Amino acid sequence: MSADHFLEVRGLKKYFDVGHATLFSRQPRNLHAVDGVDLTLRHSEVIALVGESGCGKSTLALLLMGLEDPTEGIVTLEGRDITHLDDHQRKDLRRKIQMVFQDPYESLNPTQTIEEIVTEPLAVHGIANTPDRDQRVKKAMEDAGLKPAEVYLKRYPHELSGGQRQRVVIAAALVLEPEIILADEPVSMLDVSIRAEIINLLAELRITRQIAVIFITHDLGSVGFFADRVAVMYLGRIVEIGTMLEVLEKPQHPYTRALISVIPVPNPRLRHERIILQGETPNPIDLPSGCRFHPRCPVAFATCKVSDPRLIPLSKTHQAACLLLVK
Amino acid sequence: MEAQMTTTTTAPRFQEFWRVFRNNYMGLVGFMMLVVAIIVAILAPVLSPYDPSSTLNVTTTDIYNPPSAAHWLGTDDAGQDVLTNFIFGARVSLTIGFFAAFISLVIGGVLGIIAGFYGGRTEELIMRFTDIMLVIPDLPLMMVVIALTKPSIFNIILVIGLLYWTTTARMVRSQTLAVKSRKFVLRARAIGSSKRHIIRRHILPLVLPILVVQAVLVVSSAVLAESTLSFLGLGDPTALSWGQMLNYAFGRGAMSTGAWWALVVPGFGIVWVVLGLTLLGQGLEQVLNPRLDTHHLMPGRPVVRNEANEDAEKSTGKSPLLEVRNLSIHYVNNGKPPARAVENISFNLQEGELIGLVGESGCGKTTLMLSLLRLLPSAGQIVNGRVLFNGRDLTALTEDELNSVRWSGISIVFQGAMNALNPVRTVGEQIAEAIIKHLPGFPKENLSARVVELLDLVGIAADHKDHFPHQYSGGMRQRAMIAMALACNPQVIVADEPTTALDVMIQAQILELLDRLRKKLGLAIIFVTHDLGVVAEMCDKVLVMYGGVTAEYADVDVIYNNPKHPYTQELLKAFPDLTKPKKKLSSIPGYPPRLDALPAGCRFAPRCPAAFKRCHTDPPSLHKLGDGHIASCHLLEASS
Amino acid sequence: MKRWRYLLGKISWALFTILFVIILNFFLFRILPGDPARAGVRDPRLTKENIEAIRVRYGLDKPIINCFESLNPVKIGSCAVNPLDTQFFIYMGNLLQGDMMISFHTNRPVTEILSERLWNTVILIGAGQILAILVGVLFGMFSAWKARTALDFASLTISLVAWSIPTFWLGVILLFWGSNNGMPIAGMSTPGMSSYPLLTQWGDIARHMFLPTLTYTIVYMGEYMLIMRSSLLDVLSEDYILTAKAKGLSIFQILKDHAIKNAMLPLVTIIAINLGFTVGGVIQIETVFSWPGLGMTTVEALNRRDFPVLQGAFLLIAVAVILSNLLADLAYSYLDPRVKTE
Repeated sequence: MSADHFLEVRGLKKYFDVGHATLFSRQPRNLHAVDGVDLTLRHSEVIALVGESGCGKSTLALLLMGLEDPTEGIVTLEGRDITHLDDHQRKDLRRKIQMVFQDPYESLNPTQTIEEIVTEPLAVHGIANTPDRDQRVKKAMEDAGLKPAEVYLKRYPHELSGGQRQRVVIAAALVLEPEIILADEPVSMLDVSIRAEIINLLAELRITRQIAVIFITHDLGSVGFFADRVAVMYLGRIVEIGTMLEVLEKPQHPYTRALISVIPVPNPRLRHERIILQGETPNPIDLPSGCRFHPRCPVAFATCKVSDPRLIPLSKTHQAACLLLVK
Repeated sequence: MEAQMTTTTTAPRFQEFWRVFRNNYMGLVGFMMLVVAIIVAILAPVLSPYDPSSTLNVTTTDIYNPPSAAHWLGTDDAGQDVLTNFIFGARVSLTIGFFAAFISLVIGGVLGIIAGFYGGRTEELIMRFTDIMLVIPDLPLMMVVIALTKPSIFNIILVIGLLYWTTTARMVRSQTLAVKSRKFVLRARAIGSSKRHIIRRHILPLVLPILVVQAVLVVSSAVLAESTLSFLGLGDPTALSWGQMLNYAFGRGAMSTGAWWALVVPGFGIVWVVLGLTLLGQGLEQVLNPRLDTHHLMPGRPVVRNEANEDAEKSTGKSPLLEVRNLSIHYVNNGKPPARAVENISFNLQEGELIGLVGESGCGKTTLMLSLLRLLPSAGQIVNGRVLFNGRDLTALTEDELNSVRWSGISIVFQGAMNALNPVRTVGEQIAEAIIKHLPGFPKENLSARVVELLDLVGIAADHKDHFPHQYSGGMRQRAMIAMALACNPQVIVADEPTTALDVMIQAQILELLDRLRKKLGLAIIFVTHDLGVVAEMCDKVLVMYGGVTAEYADVDVIYNNPKHPYTQELLKAFPDLTKPKKKLSSIPGYPPRLDALPAGCRFAPRCPAAFKRCHTDPPSLHKLGDGHIASCHLLEASS
Repeated sequence: MKRWRYLLGKISWALFTILFVIILNFFLFRILPGDPARAGVRDPRLTKENIEAIRVRYGLDKPIINCFESLNPVKIGSCAVNPLDTQFFIYMGNLLQGDMMISFHTNRPVTEILSERLWNTVILIGAGQILAILVGVLFGMFSAWKARTALDFASLTISLVAWSIPTFWLGVILLFWGSNNGMPIAGMSTPGMSSYPLLTQWGDIARHMFLPTLTYTIVYMGEYMLIMRSSLLDVLSEDYILTAKAKGLSIFQILKDHAIKNAMLPLVTIIAINLGFTVGGVIQIETVFSWPGLGMTTVEALNRRDFPVLQGAFLLIAVAVILSNLLADLAYSYLDPRVKTE
């Protein structure tokens, strides 16, 4: 196993049964939250997972965390299959993969002090009584930008600002010394002026602690300098993946193009033509036939209704799933 | 974005809880009443004038004696001292109340937490059983059970305890569900915490407050239940509780002899304890679950205008459609100095113009927006300035006069349209309502056609007219809100973060719609947002607010390509730009000021990279930098 | 479609609950101590043969159900009995025909006694409930609208006090007051009234009803007021009220068209849940005022250990409450569009 296949996802699927149980029968209806995702994460790499709500990106994160069981597919970490683990194995694995959530107001228990919050992971893993505990907590907090740590230890979450709370969440993740951090929309609830500091913090961690980051966001604009690669998701699948520059500057999938075109540019001199898709993302229960993007695609043609495209390699690093790219 | 303002459930640690509870008179009075009752019960032998067990020296002449020096509260049917029995009765009633409540709380609490936390079939089973127990009328059931067993204190406690857990179970379950769905529980799972750990460390601490309130209420129900059973003759005949005293008095001729004291005194005891517990419960509920004590129909505060401060300068040239002049708004703050939410804001809006009102959470942009139509919450007060709409000063109008301007002259597209639409009325009705109000001559038969036309204008098919808001998607609700805003052909539309909660593509659709309507109908729009990108795409002019004051006000091109205020400059650096993907974003250190704790000098000074000594002491004035460009910064003094 | 599924669900659930209550009612009286025949027929003059004859007459000599001869004390019996010849299935069968045994005390069929008394209770609850809801809702509305004023404080205090008063005690006090002021103090009509014209008879009943209804109203209005107040306060701080205000609607219009209906929704549920407690209140009121309704019947049966009547009354009350709950659920589904449609 080479270092290039640090975390690997193959054919991952997650269906939720949303059928109504009636008096006499039970018809299964599946919500295809994640529907066949392949993804490789390298050591200390940052992948941005971009998509609108309902595209399955958050479910994918929960699958990777083992907080949901996949319907199909495998996840391997350094070559070891981690798809289905018992509680004990799963717990050990948790030290390697940690998660940061969207809403820092909700992801901290209001009745715990910051010290309790950051120490809790150590206690859960039975390493709270080691002599370097305090040192470890302090380092995690200061690495997360809570300097000096002593100032914050005895405080409660409601005494901190949104940005500080998000730093506490990150510190509580760092204290286990993870190798991967899954960040689910970590800045979307924060004010514009402090978003950058959280993104910059995550960007630093990959350098100082060699942590790989999966950065989940609906905002293509914020992935900029920070991501190595960008994966765009639509209705449970990755429709385009490539390096940051490939995706942002030479998008090949019509959906990616539209997404990029509607991101506002903070310069009135660069007002540009926007590709505005009509309607809304179809529900992931009754999926469209063929290419699942065809009902909203501005360049769809007859074949799109029947043929479901796979990811087509465009360069060593760039792939997109569109029938127009089939030569 | 305004999330920072709404502090959700904060940690009610004990000291903090006590600090708030101390000021809650209702809870405090209830607490005192309960303490008095408990002290009386504990000190019964010391306090009571007679020994309750002695029936010596009682003769028939002692029966139902009115209050006298020997018997302050008279005597009862057995010639005993009512006061003594009353004091000892407290022991029986409270003991039964507390023990029964304890049993029911344990049952209800455990079932509630299990149902809420484990979910699935376990929950289904528990809650179905709870539902059944809830509908079976409990007094008749208690009566039957006690009639079939033996009325003893123990049985009564058991029966009340075993029947009064249903509301507790329901409440604890819903609280457990609410806590469980919060992200910190998911985070705890992600850390690797066991279920036991999660229940103990994360669920219980947040369910406990509810359980405490519930405990207080259950004790009061149990005291009431005991007294009722005793009154109906099902009490323990050897334990003289208040209910039992009443039973004897009522059944043994107190009524016909006119012995009111034998009837009033024990009842007073019950009312005292139950009222005390009720008040305590209400008080605790208010403290642990604080809610806004204001609502939208409370009368607003009168407008104050300090004429001396007013800018005497009249606008030049064409008089604008809407002119806001030196507007200041304060929030009254319970005796503390008021929060200066908005200070000295001025701007103009011409016909067909689109102005962006930009700022971060808590910068006062929503307050400013609401004040235009005087829709401020009751603590908000316009303390200076004017809002001139077509030359008419809206701050000087009466509420009735204002009602005719609202919606027909200026209408609002609110953010998060889910809550801005009434969930139990159809969208069509809500649109028609505005037309009926403001266009009284509008022919009734055309009303439906007009609603369809408006919906069509925003891209909603006619058959959605009779649907309810919950049947709409988020994007459609925002469209419906826009249709509603257009209903009375207003000249100005205020759009308050209309795209904040929406996906990027839906956001683009809504923005395009607004832009199209504006051109088609010649609307003037005030666009309130925190998103600099959206402003650059759409607006003609921009007002950048910071901490309640104008940072900078200029044409859109100036704001983006020649900003003068350090805040504008820094904000632009923090904003991602897809055209420069490699640009490293920079953030502004620190956090926006709280409006009730504003810095003395420039409100941006604590975060400003260019701040110097004066910035921390003197608030800067607005400097005119030519052609409608205004900024408030000491650095610009020379250039104005 | 969704609505039908909702209604069907509610109705089948109510039927299930009724079945549960019926079964509970049967076993409660057999598991708990006190053989009905022994407890009910305590006349010392009865000989053993007499008691046995009574046991046979009431079917108490039959096994309780297959495999169980009796449940208190537990006595295992033969399982190979004809189920239809066990107490349980005889009870169920009789119930299906509307037959609830014969009163130990008066020897009249229980069904007959209860059906006489039922309407008296319905009248009392109806009048009291309507008044309590009217007064409570009105005060609650006013209180919420004028929140944090002296008016609000006063009506809040009155409600909390009213809520804390035990029903029977309030009844006793009012009765005491009434008897000193020439009000009728017992029953629902003056004896000998039947020879008077109908209108006079009704007036007489109304006079008798006054105090019980007043008691009922005072006790329950407090709770409705509190709920209406808090519910309306919630609604009035919703965003859609701000929208309505921004639309230029008057306060009256906003209350009428946007606030009241929304605020009533939780109240409907509470009223339904309350019906169980309401019955408790009615039992107390009927006892105090000797109102010849189900409540008084229950207490009388209790004191005389007249188990068939007690059993029947409990069943009737429980079923009535379940059905009223069902009614409230159905009403709710009409009021709240979110139930009707996805």
